[in-house]
Amino acid sequence: MKNFKNKIKRRSFMKVASLGMATTALTGFPNILKAANKPIKVGVTTILSGRVAILGQTVLSGMKVAVDEINNAGGIDGRKIEVISRDSKAKPDEAARLTRELVNNEGCEVLLNCEASGATFAVNEVARDIKKFCIHCISETSSLTADPKNRVPWVFRAARQGIHDAVGGGIFASEIAKKNNLKKFATAAPDYAYGRANTAEFMEYLKLFSPDINVTTQTWPKIFQPDYTENITALLNAKPDALYTCLWGGDLVAFIDQASLYGLFDQFQSFAVNLGDLPILTAIKKIPKDVYGGARYHKDIPDTQANEDWYNKYMAGSDVLPTNWSWEADTGMRFLIDALKKTGGDTDPMKLAKATAGNKIKSPFGVDGTMTIRGEDHTLVNYVIAYGRTITKDPYLANIQQSNWKDIYVHEKDWKKRKKYI
Amino acid sequence: MFDFDALINCFGMASCAVNQLTSGLIIGMLLFLVASGLTLIFGVLNVINFAHGTFYMVGAYFAFSTYLFTESYLLSAFVGALGAGIFGIFFERVLISKVYGQDILMQLLVCYAFILITDDLVKLIWGTDYIAMGIPDEFRLAPFRIFGGYVPPLYAFLIILSLVIGILTILLISKTRFGSIVRAAAENSPMVSALGIRVPLYFALLFGLGCALAGIAGALAAPVRSLTPGMGFGILIESFIVTVIGGMGSIPGALIAAIILGLTRSIGSVGFPLFVDGLMFLIMAIVLIFKPTGLFVKGSSK
Amino acid sequence: MSGFTLFKKDISIALFSVIILILIGFFVEHPWPKDFLISIFSFGLLAMSLNMLIGFAGMVSFGHAAFFALGGYAFGLLLQSESFLTNFGALSIIVAFFVSIFITGIYSAVIGAICVRLNEIYFAFLTLAFQMFLYSVIVSWVSLTGGDQGLMGGIARPVFLGIDLSNSLHRYTFCSVIFVICILLLRILNKSNFGYSLRLIRDNQERAEFLGIRVFRVKLICFIIASMVASVGGIIMTLFTSGAYPEWAFWTQSGEAIFMIMLGGISIFLGPLVGTVLLRLINDVVQMYSSHTELVTGIIIMIVVLGLRKGLVEYLLEKTGILKK
Repeated sequence: MKNFKNKIKRRSFMKVASLGMATTALTGFPNILKAANKPIKVGVTTILSGRVAILGQTVLSGMKVAVDEINNAGGIDGRKIEVISRDSKAKPDEAARLTRELVNNEGCEVLLNCEASGATFAVNEVARDIKKFCIHCISETSSLTADPKNRVPWVFRAARQGIHDAVGGGIFASEIAKKNNLKKFATAAPDYAYGRANTAEFMEYLKLFSPDINVTTQTWPKIFQPDYTENITALLNAKPDALYTCLWGGDLVAFIDQASLYGLFDQFQSFAVNLGDLPILTAIKKIPKDVYGGARYHKDIPDTQANEDWYNKYMAGSDVLPTNWSWEADTGMRFLIDALKKTGGDTDPMKLAKATAGNKIKSPFGVDGTMTIRGEDHTLVNYVIAYGRTITKDPYLANIQQSNWKDIYVHEKDWKKRKKYI
Repeated sequence: MFDFDALINCFGMASCAVNQLTSGLIIGMLLFLVASGLTLIFGVLNVINFAHGTFYMVGAYFAFSTYLFTESYLLSAFVGALGAGIFGIFFERVLISKVYGQDILMQLLVCYAFILITDDLVKLIWGTDYIAMGIPDEFRLAPFRIFGGYVPPLYAFLIILSLVIGILTILLISKTRFGSIVRAAAENSPMVSALGIRVPLYFALLFGLGCALAGIAGALAAPVRSLTPGMGFGILIESFIVTVIGGMGSIPGALIAAIILGLTRSIGSVGFPLFVDGLMFLIMAIVLIFKPTGLFVKGSSK
Repeated sequence: MSGFTLFKKDISIALFSVIILILIGFFVEHPWPKDFLISIFSFGLLAMSLNMLIGFAGMVSFGHAAFFALGGYAFGLLLQSESFLTNFGALSIIVAFFVSIFITGIYSAVIGAICVRLNEIYFAFLTLAFQMFLYSVIVSWVSLTGGDQGLMGGIARPVFLGIDLSNSLHRYTFCSVIFVICILLLRILNKSNFGYSLRLIRDNQERAEFLGIRVFRVKLICFIIASMVASVGGIIMTLFTSGAYPEWAFWTQSGEAIFMIMLGGISIFLGPLVGTVLLRLINDVVQMYSSHTELVTGIIIMIVVLGLRKGLVEYLLEKTGILKK
């Protein structure tokens, strides 16, 4: 049986070889022929149906900005970038299956995984298994890249990382807590991995910077729960000095509307890390004043022409406002394009990995106009992390402060040591 | 997992007790509206409307669009109910009536396909954005304070309104000519037809009524719940639990079961926040094991 | 011996299928058919075993995927346990395989003993309640199951008897053999006296009782066997994805299995398997050409249900006159 198989293999190899020689003889420039004909296919799985379909939509629109730029400039050595997307319906096993299908059937040579955390871990294992270069653009779960067990030599992350946000947010919130003498904190987080990890990391750093703070009440609504009444009243009963919440998307919109009915935001200070996404800010009809929130994506932070330009390009090709997921998808695509330029369009995973590790690109979302994918742990750094306070009118978020990356690096390193990752 | 101290503390304080009991009631009453439609349709037509959550969603979206133009909460709730009702009649006439009396699996499949189609249509018409209708100005009031607890005026209004709608529905079914025809047709449809009454018309109207109940729940909740395609999914499974606990076909049963469920969630959020869902299914399982026809329906499953 | 002659044809078909499947694995270099077929093996077993309940016995379960998930989780958790791996070494996979099926069997015996007493719609809802209860447990028991993220970090696949399941060809071959054995088992049960009793119960429970069939016992055994076969489907999926996910225990997974059955047809033995392939193809092909996957899938299902009013296989067989109405 084995012999037989080898024979076939050899035969098809001969066929390809002779075909190749014929082409070379005919044109003399096989590379150009290849370049002119074949686009580089990028496989993307994301969530395009159900309650967070909007996010998947903003992923594709965000990515399109980077793709259009390179394709209008003639592509990579003449080869265009072609995005092929699939709807995973937020199911991990579906995301894993579709990723294989994109590679096997659609001929995708590289992967940009735009799934939330659960499915991202599944796709991570697939990329390891089938040895395709992959950039995770959405998952913020720190352990994805920080934990060496999860790391894959040819897989990277071009997204926020929970621990970075936690340090930045912790410093920001502790200053406010000291100023206003806030001691008792309550939390409201969606009851799943992201919500739990995010809340734990944030509170850990808040306590580190203001040790006299303690958490008195925690409430855990289910993800996509239609109403939060029982959680809101549980918070009211606890009478804390401040509330921290990492609810996001439509859930945050509903939570804020329902909490407003109870006058919750008048009774204590609130921090909502995921508040600063445009579709959320514009969906809430009467946004409560003086809630602190993270600027997840903001067209004026940093206040540069490049950032403004990006917003305009994005809006030209989209009918929904950009989200945090949009800039992340754009960033992932830019790192991929830059790596492909360096390899001359070669999609060999190790070559692309070599071009990506430690790579620094220009970006409107970087603190100093640049961002880097760190070589040692394959994750994005130097992107804008900023927090502000809500006002009732457009642009809804004011007094925005950017976190300092020097602090973040120091505390990230300590955290890694504590977790025994390094 | 269980924090009994927190529970005892809460019920030792009047403010906490008021907060949790009223929040249980508001969750329960909106759920009751959805579930009463489901149980009504099952009781008379013997059809399980797996697509019931869709009408809740459609009601909310219709209400949202009406509110954009009229800024009237009550009018938009009415349009939401009416729209969901008409859409329900369409669904009944064109699709689900074709599988009456057939395998329950055929009904399941038709409903599933209908859910998929409607969700995508909503996406095409209203987009994938998070939509919030916003709280109507007349309800932008400071919450009532009762024994130190908080009760938002909107919620107080919704609790009373849901109860009124529930009672009217019961009266409609038990006291009116429409009700008696429908009940008679449910028992013996050929006999009622023989009297010259167009039974399919009555069935369609009843189906529409059930859907309108789901629609009005979605419409009434639209100011405080964000609207997204697929929002009917979560409410569906909870209304099933209510229907099963209360007894399929029993509206008073649905009322009591919905309040039980609302209270389980509100008390659970204090005492056992991570096991609320598990407990809801456990209650449903226990009811099914010991009294499969539901707590408030006489008879047995065998 | 008589058993063998009775099922000679089925056994030969099974052997033939195994050979074909293995040949596909060996001669098709492209990885797609192997990936596609493994997912068909897995969900096919879920659908086929569910049809043993629905089609053979008339027990409509809404909670069958629970056993699929339980098999997958048990298998994954055993192989992630260091002490299990050191104890059983090279035999780990085999032991984990049978232990997982056994665990599912015990669990389904308990659930089944409670559920099968109920009829029709109440049976359906009770199985649904137990499935969602299991789902809640999986999601909230984070320290054991990883909660909503599922089992992470891959699953050990130690080599046994020269079979290395991290090699895609070995894995495929292994899964095809298991798959065909399970299908053959279902076939034999279907044609045996046991299957005959099930059909009697389905068509008229009182008559079956009158004829001396111990209805409760027969139904319970059917429930347990169907659950164990479903758990094999879960094990195959765990092997394939190198993880296990709570979505497997969610009610939509049971719903999907029901659609597979209905698409293919419940009265034909291999109907559910055809349905599995159909649903997968519809999903994949629609995704290729349209961004409105839900709309198109919904319309296709609606056409099949309201247009054909039966499974596609049943419809085709009737049209061609092979199956009489």
